[in-house]
Amino acid sequence: MKFYLALWFAKLMGIAIKLVSRGRGTNLPGEKALSIDPSFVKHFKNIDYSKVVFITGTNGKSSTTNLVTHILKENGKKIVSNLEGANLLSGIATILAKEASLTGKLKADYYIFETDERYLPLIYAQLPAENMLITNLQKDQVQRNGDPDFIIRKLKEVINPKMTLILNNEEPRSRFFEEIARRSIYYSVSRHDESFTKGNDYPTQACPKCHHDMSFDYYNVDSIGAFHCEHCGFASKTNPEYEVTDINFSDRTFKLKGVVFHMPYDLPFMFYNYAGALAVCEEICGIVPVAAAKAFENFKNIGGRFEVLKYNNKTIKYMRIKQENPDTLQSALNIMASDSNEKMVALGLYVVNDFVPHYINTFYAFDCDFKPLIDSNVEKYLCFSEHVSYDTANRLIYEGVSKDDITIMDSDDIKEIFAEIDRAETDNIYLITWISTFEKMKKFIEGGQN
Amino acid sequence: MTQLIKIGWLFPNMFNLHGDRGNILAIKAEAQRRGYAVEIEQINLDSEAFNPMDFDFLFCPPGEMEHFKPVVEFLEHHKDELIAYIEEHPMLVTGTTVSLFGKLIHRDDNSTIEGLGILSLETTENHSVYGDDIYYSCQYNGKEMEIIGSQIQMMDLEINEESPFGRLKYGYGNTGKTKYEGAISGKGIFTNTLGPILVCNPWLTEEIINLIEVNKGWTAFEAHRDNSLELMSLKTKTALIEKKETRLVKLSER
Ligand SMILES: [Zn+2]
Ligand SMILES: [Zn+2]
Repeated sequence: MKFYLALWFAKLMGIAIKLVSRGRGTNLPGEKALSIDPSFVKHFKNIDYSKVVFITGTNGKSSTTNLVTHILKENGKKIVSNLEGANLLSGIATILAKEASLTGKLKADYYIFETDERYLPLIYAQLPAENMLITNLQKDQVQRNGDPDFIIRKLKEVINPKMTLILNNEEPRSRFFEEIARRSIYYSVSRHDESFTKGNDYPTQACPKCHHDMSFDYYNVDSIGAFHCEHCGFASKTNPEYEVTDINFSDRTFKLKGVVFHMPYDLPFMFYNYAGALAVCEEICGIVPVAAAKAFENFKNIGGRFEVLKYNNKTIKYMRIKQENPDTLQSALNIMASDSNEKMVALGLYVVNDFVPHYINTFYAFDCDFKPLIDSNVEKYLCFSEHVSYDTANRLIYEGVSKDDITIMDSDDIKEIFAEIDRAETDNIYLITWISTFEKMKKFIEGGQN
Repeated sequence: MTQLIKIGWLFPNMFNLHGDRGNILAIKAEAQRRGYAVEIEQINLDSEAFNPMDFDFLFCPPGEMEHFKPVVEFLEHHKDELIAYIEEHPMLVTGTTVSLFGKLIHRDDNSTIEGLGILSLETTENHSVYGDDIYYSCQYNGKEMEIIGSQIQMMDLEINEESPFGRLKYGYGNTGKTKYEGAISGKGIFTNTLGPILVCNPWLTEEIINLIEVNKGWTAFEAHRDNSLELMSLKTKTALIEKKETRLVKLSER
């Protein structure tokens, strides 16, 4: 009975919220429902758990969930997903309440849920999905997660011998779970024009199976690429089932299982999302690559290589990174380095301000290889953002940039940032900063104040 | 004759969490500024002949406790050498790995790991992580200094009768309940400070090289490093620390 009360309450609340605000979804209905019935999600009827897919991991969860959902819908499947809600239990509760009948029955072909890796045990306890895609398990948000093993331990609580896993062939940490799962399906990206290596004094990682050092032949994305452990033989497979090959950056195409795909975004980290999504669609949902290919023509996702702002005669290319995450910073550095035109680099790593206490962390920048960027024709550097700018500059100095070539600005004042951009001779400006500073800059330009 | 400094980098691949490579860059750059040649050797589980005494400086970065057991097994054979080593030679151990040099580690899942026992520390892994700035004063090689950095603390460190490395001005330190930060034993620094500590605090890096000069019987290099950038950085960071919101127990109440 508690369940019905919770369900109806959540439904009414959902309608009310929709009337008031037409914007983004909220988890409030789910939160309320869970406070009325703590096992709310467990009590929904006729969910076939073999049709439920969790998509989890450090980077790429949202894009992969978005793509899987898009492909399935384009192929006429009825999908329930939390694309517009949170990737926590309350987000899933909200969407299930909305989609269920008044008696708590659900009717869908598949359930595709992005799940926050930290909350996976909590979610799984009420919704025991039998399929899970892991994008990758990387160093990320250390203030919350500490080290990758912290997240691996959360996943260990959930992954069991009944599960089918869809695993990134070139990511050792998530590959570890193949030993536990009933079945593992591997997705992969073959070496391409933007694959890279790092200087040999950049550390790799320990083999998750035997603790010895692992080697990477190359990286497709930071920490992801063909790997092997000399000691125990653990290695990326040479013939993974779902491999993105023949990546052509100029034609914007790739191949998978012999099918040619149009690639909506030519970003190296997106290639893994493509491969993983195609694996889920065929193996779990029966949509073959040929059928999925059509859906790639009209796939929309947030973000490309960068967002462009026109400022006076200059082009500002803004790249968003996740703080405390070397992988997204490395991707941004690689994008800048791949442009051999003269450029200005405005680097605004900033105080980590997710929750109290705010703190200064720039150490993840030492995991990233700045050399290719420095060798790529940079006219000038601007290191800005209050409390952090000197550290950022020091990272560049330790990579060989002369102190005289760096303007250090211990401030987030956008007028000062623009003034520094004005001083550049080049019109090719790359910008890394947090979204709020970028939004202010965008508003400034749109307001015609330049 | 070239003057060579040999640096041993312990388990760089296995213990690679917080841009720790920066510490190697910092020590190397300061040695090179003084005209010394630098050789860096990586020590891993497959290293056959590890002898601490071959090195002028040892660095052991923070790592996942998951990998501690094989490392303890490896280093156990060198325990006495390491104890002798830190009597005279500089060594830096940062983050979680400090616990590995201590006695018992109590893990969050109730299992335990027997550390090397070089220090009489005892560690308890915490259920959640604590990340923050850290700021303290300390003394190394006879010099008083201030250290700034970040801390990602996954454990509480009970230093028992060991001497603390630093006296906190701000931060969680060893347990969040004392004024102590890390431990020092002989010339071995065992600290929770990330940052990387030797990049953000070149005054400490300088003292480590000063000590190496003494150990090697070299004449001290006269010209000081230009630390103006790092001093500016220290200043703006302490400004943030002074104004920011915190949930830490006040130092005066510890
Ligand atoms: Zn291995
Ligand atoms: Zn616990």
